[in-house]
Parts: sequence; structure tokens; C-alpha cells
Amino acid sequence: MGEYALLYILFAPFAGALALIFVSNRQPLLVRSIAVSAAGVSLLASLYLFYAYDPVKGGFQFVQKVEWSRQLGISLHLGVDGIGTPLVLASAILLFAGIFVSWHIKDRTKEFYIWLLILAAATIGVFMSLDLFFLYFFYEMSVIPMYLLLGMWGSHTKKYLEMTDPEGLKRRDSVGFILNFGSNSKEYAAMKLVLFLSAFAVVALMGILLIYKYAGLNTFDILVLREQANLMNIPVLGTTLDKIIWVLVFFGFASIAPLWPLHSWSPVGHAAAPAATSMLHAGVLMKLGHFSIMRVAFEILPETTRELMPIAAVLCMFSIIYGGFVAFYAKDTKYVIGYSSSSHMGYVFLGMAALNYISLSGAVIYMFAHAMATGMLFAMAGWVYDQTHSRDIPSLGGLSNKMPFISACFVVACMASIGMPGTVNFIAEIMIIIGSWNKYPLQVIVAMLGIVLTLAYLFKMMRGLFYGPMSQKYSHAHDAISTVDRLPLLVMISISIGFGIFPMHLYDVVRSGVDPLVARITRVVPVAETGEGVEMRRSQATTPENSSAPLASHKSISYTPQVSREGRE
Amino acid sequence: MTFSLNMTFSDLLLLLPEIFLTCWLCVVLIVDFSLPRLPKERLAYLSVAGLVATLGCLGWFDVNHISGTLFGNMFVLDRMAIFFKVIILGSTILVILASIEYVNRFTLFRGEYYCLVVMAALGMMFMASANDLLSVFVSLEFATLGFYVLVSYLRDDLASNEGGLKFFILGVFAAGLLAYGISLVYGETGKLVFSDMTSAQATPGLIIGFLLIFASLGFKIGAVPFHAWIPDTYHGAPTPVTTFLSIAPKAAAFAILLRIFLVALVTFKPLWVSFLVAVSILSMTYANIVAIAQRNIKRLLAYSGIAQVGNVLIGLAAGTKMGSDAILFYILAYLFANIGAFAVVIAVSQAIGRDEIEDYRGLNRRSPFLAFAMLLFLLSLAGVPPLAGFIGKLYIFVAAIKEGLYTLIAVGLINIVISMYYYLIVVKQMYINEPMDPSPIGVSGPMKAVIYVGLAGTLVIGIYPQPFTDWVVSATLMFSNLIGPSATMIPPSLPLGG
Repeated sequence: MGEYALLYILFAPFAGALALIFVSNRQPLLVRSIAVSAAGVSLLASLYLFYAYDPVKGGFQFVQKVEWSRQLGISLHLGVDGIGTPLVLASAILLFAGIFVSWHIKDRTKEFYIWLLILAAATIGVFMSLDLFFLYFFYEMSVIPMYLLLGMWGSHTKKYLEMTDPEGLKRRDSVGFILNFGSNSKEYAAMKLVLFLSAFAVVALMGILLIYKYAGLNTFDILVLREQANLMNIPVLGTTLDKIIWVLVFFGFASIAPLWPLHSWSPVGHAAAPAATSMLHAGVLMKLGHFSIMRVAFEILPETTRELMPIAAVLCMFSIIYGGFVAFYAKDTKYVIGYSSSSHMGYVFLGMAALNYISLSGAVIYMFAHAMATGMLFAMAGWVYDQTHSRDIPSLGGLSNKMPFISACFVVACMASIGMPGTVNFIAEIMIIIGSWNKYPLQVIVAMLGIVLTLAYLFKMMRGLFYGPMSQKYSHAHDAISTVDRLPLLVMISISIGFGIFPMHLYDVVRSGVDPLVARITRVVPVAETGEGVEMRRSQATTPENSSAPLASHKSISYTPQVSREGRE
Repeated sequence: MTFSLNMTFSDLLLLLPEIFLTCWLCVVLIVDFSLPRLPKERLAYLSVAGLVATLGCLGWFDVNHISGTLFGNMFVLDRMAIFFKVIILGSTILVILASIEYVNRFTLFRGEYYCLVVMAALGMMFMASANDLLSVFVSLEFATLGFYVLVSYLRDDLASNEGGLKFFILGVFAAGLLAYGISLVYGETGKLVFSDMTSAQATPGLIIGFLLIFASLGFKIGAVPFHAWIPDTYHGAPTPVTTFLSIAPKAAAFAILLRIFLVALVTFKPLWVSFLVAVSILSMTYANIVAIAQRNIKRLLAYSGIAQVGNVLIGLAAGTKMGSDAILFYILAYLFANIGAFAVVIAVSQAIGRDEIEDYRGLNRRSPFLAFAMLLFLLSLAGVPPLAGFIGKLYIFVAAIKEGLYTLIAVGLINIVISMYYYLIVVKQMYINEPMDPSPIGVSGPMKAVIYVGLAGTLVIGIYPQPFTDWVVSATLMFSNLIGPSATMIPPSLPLGG
């Protein structure tokens, strides 16, 4: 059973969605229990996967390969390494929590769960794809459910509703988009999200097609391409082909990450989305970007990555600072959390840009940690919105009287998001900062500033929501009392703190995925490669200090893959 | 060239599907006027039975690899012809099932409607087998004749008459161009059969002749400089006829285009690639941008169809075996999505009586089934995984990138995003907006069957395309080595009867 774990994780939500089609909306309990059991199977299997993954062995494990199209050279090739495993776990946790968070949705419950399950399954599919085609397949598949979830169960922003006059709907629809910041309808947010993501997805697809063509291997298989594709030193349009492909792939996927200046769809989407969708969106959908860059650009074009990754180091500063300042001034809870997410994703880019063992592991752990922290924040912002029908921070206040449990959890979530010691976020942040210091001191100082900003806006929001005087009109608001409402928060808090105190297994798993990747890119540690995956002695890998400077000079850039292949033989 | 009419029985076997369908057509006509009290839907089922029998016959041909040529290479039955005939017959069956309810709107000649549909299908089957310029002309006109009548079948409806007139005038004009083009080509080469022309020289007369032929076929498929009739005709025609018009003639015309470009003109490939690239870019970009402004679902689907043709032309511009595979696959995917989408349009207009996009407000609340089906069909047309349209688009792009058509692919990819916008506008009306009138919409039995077939095709091809890619690859084996002219010759021997 064990070796099929990936299939259970991936197909349980799809099977759940399929089963839900045949259930009537008049049986909400049945609908919910099907959704919960589908997500539960997926969660249990991914927990098994996480603990059964052998970090000493490393490489791609639980590999499944089914030929899918001979003519196009596509196979359904699934497998996880140390980078994919924690992200699969994070997706499964957030899906499971998201189903409980949206327990009280009354309108078209069945459809909601169908699209939520498909969304989660598609993101999980990306994290385990070892085939460029299926990576893109699942990536693009995750976009359309977002449109429907935002459009059907989302909400307009407050400013948008204020601009509403009983008859003037049309006038506002056409004018309000660009000029009035923050005053967009859910339809606008949904359409913007889909068009933005699709537009950049096709950019990435162009890169993928170019890899396919110039590799000349008639395959989309990442493992084959990274071993055999020789895309270096082909002059095109005054530059070289590998650079063009890298830029296409990087910016194509960075839009979903979202890297400044490609971020604008994201907070708008968060603000419109229902709570569970925001959780998945911020928690895992954004990580598709980083993950796909690592899987495609890092794996297939390691030399080019080393050369061009400073682009990310520059842009990530803007991400961190811009996102932080907008979050500080935003008045809508979901905008605050949304911009905070896009600011925090800058840390991941910093960790990726520094390209050493510590910082890249930090980036991967940060993706996992951020999924939990931001998932909690969105779940509670959703709870507050359900109770008060408001996300406007100035008009709220004093809710801790009415909802002590939520407010306590909110404090914990804020602490996690800031990176307090004891949460897994702390470990991730400290690894990124330490790992990047040698290469990018300026960026690290900016990141420190970003942490201060995070502190400022999260505390500001916490005070605005839960403390101070309470308006009388919210006196009917109540706390999360039932198990169903408390369970998702408790799960995410315990994961966040649990891994904060016992991070070793998570760290080992991530290192086993990061080490061969960094070794490939920086070419500083000899890599012994066999068959499917990349094996590596951990004793070698855990000594990055002695290997950083001298070999990474310009001489080793002209190192071609053939040489290394001969060297291996 | 000499025409020999020494036909044996086994020769006639190649024509069996057409002969059978002709006889069946007469049977349907006779039944119609000899039993005037017979409910007209019985005639529909009778026609469907004949079409299914023909389909079975073609399936038998395909399984047993029966192929050959007739009438001095004028008529060819190869696996590609069988593929296109299956597409045409399949779409005809679905269209007849989808029109059973709609036919009640016609004031007169309800029985003849089915005969005309089957007659048009017969003409298009000949188009799929046409292997020289004369049979192209004859079969094209034969197929179009039925459509001239069908488009203006709503006699009291101004839009239908207008659409019919536009279609007729432009259609006759296109026929004139075709005849002129054929005469020029014949004058330059002295040849009519495609496979004989490969050694011709690229003289101006020949180029102009083929340009005229392409213009006429471009009129059929609705590629951009020749698309002007499409929106009005699609809008005015009875919706089942629009459905038929949007898939079957395009498929048949692509069969001819494939034979012309990959057999007759294969040696001139450097000359026509840039021309096809231009037509493809124009079709996709123009149609997708204009479709954004549409308020009527039939016009929207008309422009979307033009854009899809632009996509198919990418595969033709690639001009390889893989390009032709991709074209066939794309047409197969397009068949299910497009017929399904039009079936939903028919079902909705049957209940509401209008075809404006606004009328789709809150369709999800009125009929979740119709809304979900429409969602999948539109997303398949847009090219969203895991639906058939996505695989079709990817197949075409892969075929084109192997030939290095980077600009064309970039434009095609951008157009996917543009098209996503207007398809999602319809999705927004169906799913996000609340209905004005929340009364549920019912769907009749045959219509449900059509939509289920469309859904099944769209999902199965998208999720497990291997059997379908195998089918299209074997259907275009004749293009497998597109290097030398001799490779495209069809063996004249008949592998029949041992």
C-alpha cells in the first residue's frame, strides 16, 4: 500500500469531488462528510508520506510512472523529494482545515466542496509532478476553481459596496476598477486572478515548449531532461537560449508566487475569496510559483540559475518592503493578510536567490511554515467576517470579549507569522537570514526591516479587531465553540508549534531535497547520481562552509553538463 | 488522363457507405410523404438509424484497413477519409438528435429537414474523399446546396432569411473563385489529381490558382479574410443548423486542405508556410478580440469558432505528419465541445426563447446540469486542463514548435488568454449572477443524450487521450514521410477480397 501513497493523496480529493456530483444539496451532512472523508484520506496518506519519506536515502521516492501519451512523450510521472513532501503535507492539512472552516456555507454547499477539492488536488498534483506537461496541467487546472470559488462564494470589498447605489450598478462596474484602490467587486477580482495567472502560465508554457524542442528528446520528463538536455550556449537574438528559457520560466511562475511587481492580482483575490479559498490560495497556491521555479528552472537549467538568480534577489526586496507598507496602511483585514503574504513570499525568494544549503532549506521550510500561519490568519479573518459581516478594521474592535478562543488563537497566529521562537516560522526565518547574509547583506537588512513591519501591521490589526471598545452592533457575535469550528485552528496551531519545537524530521527531509539541488547548481559538492534520484552523503552535504567561495567563480560557470557526465562515469 | 469505368463489385464496396446513405435518404423521403400522419421525430430516429449503420460500416472498413481509390483517383478511401467521415457522421447524428425539439418551430417542411441534413452529410462525406480538383468542386457544391436551404429554414424570421441570403451570395461567389482557381491550376499543370501535381513548377498562374482555391476553402472553414458571412449566418440560422455548420463543413474542408497542402503542394512548403502563418494569426487575433464585444451567445460561439480555426491552421502551417495528427485530434476535441455548447444553447433557447448572453444569468440555479455542461464545454474550447481542448491545443503547439514557428505559437498562447476572458464572461453569467426568473429549465431526453455524449467526449479525450492519438496517428500514416513526392502516392491496388 505504501508505495501508492501519492496516488491516494492526489486522487482522493478528485474521487470525493466526483462522488459529490451525485449527491443532492438537500443532504448537507452527507455532502460535508464526503468532503471530509476525501480530505481525511488525503491527509492521512500525506502524513504517512511525510514520515515514511527516507531522508537518508533522499532523491525522488514513492515514484509512480504511467505512460500517458506516446506521441507527445508524456507520462504521468509522480514522485516527491524533500522539497515536495512538506508542501504536499501542507496542502493536505490546509484542505482538511479548509473544509471545516467552510462548514457553515449554506449556499450551494455541494458545488463549493467540489471546487475546493479540485483546487486542492490540482495544487497537490503540481507538488508531485515529475513531468513538465503534468506540472503545467495541474498548475493551470488550479486556476479555474479559483474563479468559481471567488465569484460564487466570495464577497465584495467594503469600498465597493459603499459605491453602490441602488440602480447605478453598471456605472460602477465599468469605472471603479483602476482608479479606486481596494474598491473592487468579487467578479473583478476573480477575472483578474484568472487572466493574470493564465497570462503568465502561458509564458511559462512557452519556456516549457522551448525546453522540449531544444532538448530534442521528445519527452517532458524532468528527470530525463535534467540529465540529458543540453540547452547551453545556443545563441538566440543576441543572447543565449538558456537565458531566454530561464526568464520565461522564472517570470511565468513567479507571478503566482507573487513576486513584485507581478503581485497585484493576489491581494485583490484574497480580499474577494471565501475563507477556505484564501487559506489554500495563500497557503499553497502561491507556493506553486516557488516550487515550479525550483523544479523547472533549478533542475533543468542549473548553470543559468546561478547566473540569473540575482534578479530575484533584487526584486524580493521590493516584495518585502512594498507588501509590508501596504499591509500597514490597509484597512481591510484580508488585504492586510494578503499583502503580508506577498511580503513574506519575498523571504522565500531571498532564500532561493542566495542559493546555499542553509538559505534554500530555510526557504522551503518557510513555505511550509507560512502555509500554517497564514492559513490560521485567514481562517480567523473569515470567522470574524462571518460573525460581523465586516472586514473593516477601524469599525471593528473589542471582539475578544465575545470570542476569547478566536482572539487567543489569533495572537498565536500572529506570533507564528512574525516568527517567534517556538514556532516553525522562526526556524525558517533564521535559516534564510543566516544563509543569505554572506551573499546578500543588504537584502538581509531589508528582510529584518520586513520583520519589524510584520510586527507593526499584525499588532495593529490584532488591536483593531480584538481589543479596545466594542461597537454595540456586534453584540450578537459569538465564539468558535463547537469542535468543528475549533478543530482546524487547533490542527494548524499544533503543527506550527509542534514543528517549531521538534523540527528535526522536517529539517532532514528538506535538506535531503535541497542538498542535491544546491550541489547541482553551485557545483561545489561532488554528486553521486544513480537511476531515478540523486543520492548524497549527508556528511558531505552538511558542510557548506568549506565549499562556498573558491569554486563558485566564473571558471566553474563554463562547466558543461557533458563534462560532469563523463566525470561521473 | 483516361477515365475507365470498368468497375467491379469490390470497387463499389468502397462506395458502400455513400451508396447506402443515398438509399436511406430516399427511404426517409418516401416514408415522410407516404405516411403523412407519422410523428416527425420518428423520421429523425429513422435517419439516425441509417447514419449509425453507415458509421458501423466505416468502422468495419477502418478495422479491416480497407482502402483504395476509384474513378481514376478522383475518389479516395483511405484512413484519413474514414476519420473525417466518422467525424461528419457523428456530428450529423448529434445534430439530428439535438434538433428534434427545435423542428417544431418550423412552420412547414418538417420532414424534409432531416433529409436535407442527411444530404448535406452525404456531400461532406464525398468532400472527405475528394482527391482531385473536380471532385472537390462537385462535392463542395453538393454539400453547400443543402446548407443554403437549411440556413433559411425559419421562413418567417428575418434574421434567418438575411443569414441565408448572405450565405448564398458569398457561397456562390466562393464557388466562382474555386472554379476559376481550378481552371488556372489545370491550365498550368494539366493535372487535376492532387498526387500528380507534386512535380509542378511554381508559376504565377499556379500560385494565383491555389490562392483562389484556398480562398474558397477559407470561406468554408471561416478563416479570417473570408469569414464575413459567419457571424450573421450563425446568428440567423436555426440553432441546430448553426451547430452543424460550425463543425461538419469545417472538418470536411480541412480534409481537402490537408490533401492540397500536404500532397499537392508539399514541394512548395517554404512558399505557403508564411502565408498560412499570417492567416492563422489574423484568424485567432481578430476573432478573439471581436468576440469580447458580443452580446449574443451564437455570435460569440461563431467568433470562437473562427479563432479555433486559426488554431487548427497552426497545425497546417507546421506542415508535418505530426501537424496533421494534431489537426485531426483538435477537430475531434472541437467536435464534442462545440456540439455540446450549441446543444446547451438550443436547450436554453427552447425554454427561454432567446439567445442573448444575458439570458444565461443564474443558469446554475435554474439548471445545474446545463450550467455545468456549458462550463466544461466552454473551458474545453478555451483550452483548460483536464479537458480535450487543452490536449488539442498542446498537440498543435508541440507540432508547431518542432517546426520552429515561434511567433505563431506566441500569438496562439496569448490568444488562449484573450479567449479565456469571453468564455468566462458567460461562466460569470451562469454561475455568479443571480437569475431574473428562477424557474427551473427542463431538458428533453434526446438533448440530454447529446450533452452527455459531448461531456463524455470532452472528459475522456482530456483525461486519457492515448487511444485517440493512436487513432489520429494511424489515420494520417499517408503523410508519414513528407520528404519526397513519391511518398504521398496512394497505392492503387485494392487490398480487398484477399
